[in-house]
Amino acid sequence: MPSLEPHLVAARLVREAGGVLIGRTRLQKVACLAKLAGLLDTFEFEYRHYGPFSEGLATAMDTAAGLKFVEEQETQAVWGGWYSTYRATDRTPPAEDAQRFQFVTEAAKIGAIQLELAATAAFLHVKEGLDGPEAWAETARRKPEKAQDNRLEAAKVAYRQLRCLSTPTPLPAI
Amino acid sequence: MTIHKVYRIRDPIHDLIEFGAPATADQHQLEHVLWKVINTRPFQRLRRVKQLGFSELVFPGATHTRFAHSIGVFHTARKLTAAIERSVGGVGYNPHKCRVAMAAAMVHDLGHGMFSHAFEGVMRSLGRTDTKHERVSQRMIRETDIAELLNQITPSFAEEVAALVAIKPPRDFYDAIVASQFDADRLDYMQRDRMMTGVGSGAADVEWLLRNLEVENVPIASDDDAGGSVQTLVLGPKAYHVAESYVLALFHLYPIVYFHKATRGAEKVFEALILRVFQLVREDHAGKTGLPGNHPLITFAAAMENLDRILDLDDTTFWGALPMLAEAEDPEVRRFAMQLRDRNLLRCIDIGSMAAEELPPERREDSGSRRARLDRIDKACDRVIERKAELPDALFDTYKRNPYERFQKADTVFNQIHIKQPGGVRDMAQLSAVVASAEPFRICRAYVRRDDMHTENVLRNIVRTSVGSATD
Repeated sequence: MPSLEPHLVAARLVREAGGVLIGRTRLQKVACLAKLAGLLDTFEFEYRHYGPFSEGLATAMDTAAGLKFVEEQETQAVWGGWYSTYRATDRTPPAEDAQRFQFVTEAAKIGAIQLELAATAAFLHVKEGLDGPEAWAETARRKPEKAQDNRLEAAKVAYRQLRCLSTPTPLPAI
Repeated sequence: MTIHKVYRIRDPIHDLIEFGAPATADQHQLEHVLWKVINTRPFQRLRRVKQLGFSELVFPGATHTRFAHSIGVFHTARKLTAAIERSVGGVGYNPHKCRVAMAAAMVHDLGHGMFSHAFEGVMRSLGRTDTKHERVSQRMIRETDIAELLNQITPSFAEEVAALVAIKPPRDFYDAIVASQFDADRLDYMQRDRMMTGVGSGAADVEWLLRNLEVENVPIASDDDAGGSVQTLVLGPKAYHVAESYVLALFHLYPIVYFHKATRGAEKVFEALILRVFQLVREDHAGKTGLPGNHPLITFAAAMENLDRILDLDDTTFWGALPMLAEAEDPEVRRFAMQLRDRNLLRCIDIGSMAAEELPPERREDSGSRRARLDRIDKACDRVIERKAELPDALFDTYKRNPYERFQKADTVFNQIHIKQPGGVRDMAQLSAVVASAEPFRICRAYVRRDDMHTENVLRNIVRTSVGSATD
């Protein structure tokens, strides 16, 4: 069976997030963690300022929105910037994998900054070989403002909860 | 020690550039030290490395050097630091970091090899990442006379400068002077390259941008979630349209100048030629290259990590070697050398255009369909490149560049171009629909001999099958 085209994989993530996925950062980090958990194999990630980032996923989601496989709406945030909300449409591919559906649904509920911190730490562990405490410490060093106000601790808690979910590959033990 | 001597350089872009004009004592000292740095062997070598490599084969006026550019970058960095001082002033201003940035701006290109990026391509093909120009620049700062000169400012100044020339991503707005989408390097080269090539497009009002530069607090956030703020460089609201022009002007230089098909074709021949020379040396057949045993290309091939050997290489080393290479015993060396000597370049086949012919747009194509079609063209090109082993007589060239790294994709907030607006600071791509919707510039090309129709036919067949599989 031919594999799904990247823009359909990206759109399906919105369906799996419960039909609504808020934010480009959240999209990237959910996908990255899903990949680390063995639930996704379509996109390649590299480290950017916002942590792990896939150019392929960003392009695929833009294509999905352009072809109306999802609906994208931009909203001004309280802090002054803008963020995207993706909504599933009747063209969005159905969620087929129960494990991935549960994982993506739960991951998408996590706050964007916590998710970014968690995905960054896990990514640093895998890509740069940092052990658990080092990965979190390096995350805090690279993102000092975001790691403040107990957000790093909250990210650790959220990550541990995600690790409890059944996945083909266990998320890294960091 | 009081030194009052002022050194002056006339520059086609910036007019008068002075070193040591009346300023604070620290600035005065920095500029005198930098003047001495200019007179070192590594910096003087930049007189013999052209800024645009083989571009002069297309734009005969583009013979300007990395020497002139580097001094222009210093001058621009000095203007950027002045803007920062105006905006921050007082206790918030860090003059030491500004001095490090100015010095780093001036020496950032020391490590470029002959024909700059083309030589880097050669070294990359050999798996030598330690010869990336930023790394070599660091070595020249740390291991030559330059270190001693810079350390006259403070004992660790050379090390700070060396760290900054390879910084990625920038840590704060001082680093952004040297490494960002609005850094001194870009601000100089976009003006200089435009003037020297003679291209009419690509103009931007840099002075207006500098006049409107400020330091402001920018929120740090992810999506709808706020998480503090940091100070960074922003442009005032009156610079918005000029900033938009700046982004597009810089971007347009890539297809028009830097990635001109003939320039890139010459670079590909150069890379193939140098790789062949190095291969012959490695296989103990240096004599077949046509070069004497003590030629800098031969001695470098035997000791690529030796800084003296690196310093021996510049554009003139290569042009001087060309008559000998054209007489080489090795037929490949001879052929490539003659192609460059006589500007008898290879024929360019645009694989992207071939794929686009196979995937024509629908009559009324909406933006989503267009994006999907371009994705398929990209994918088809990728598949052609995967099969390049089937075309041994062709040289391939691929590249993709976004006009502006959007906030989400950026390395850091300090890399962005921010515009001050009544409601707060906005990222350029969030504010400008033109910048936000500008499509990436992509190339996927093959270069073949002018009489080689066979390779073109095979290539066309591969493109057809690749387009077919890309749309399955």
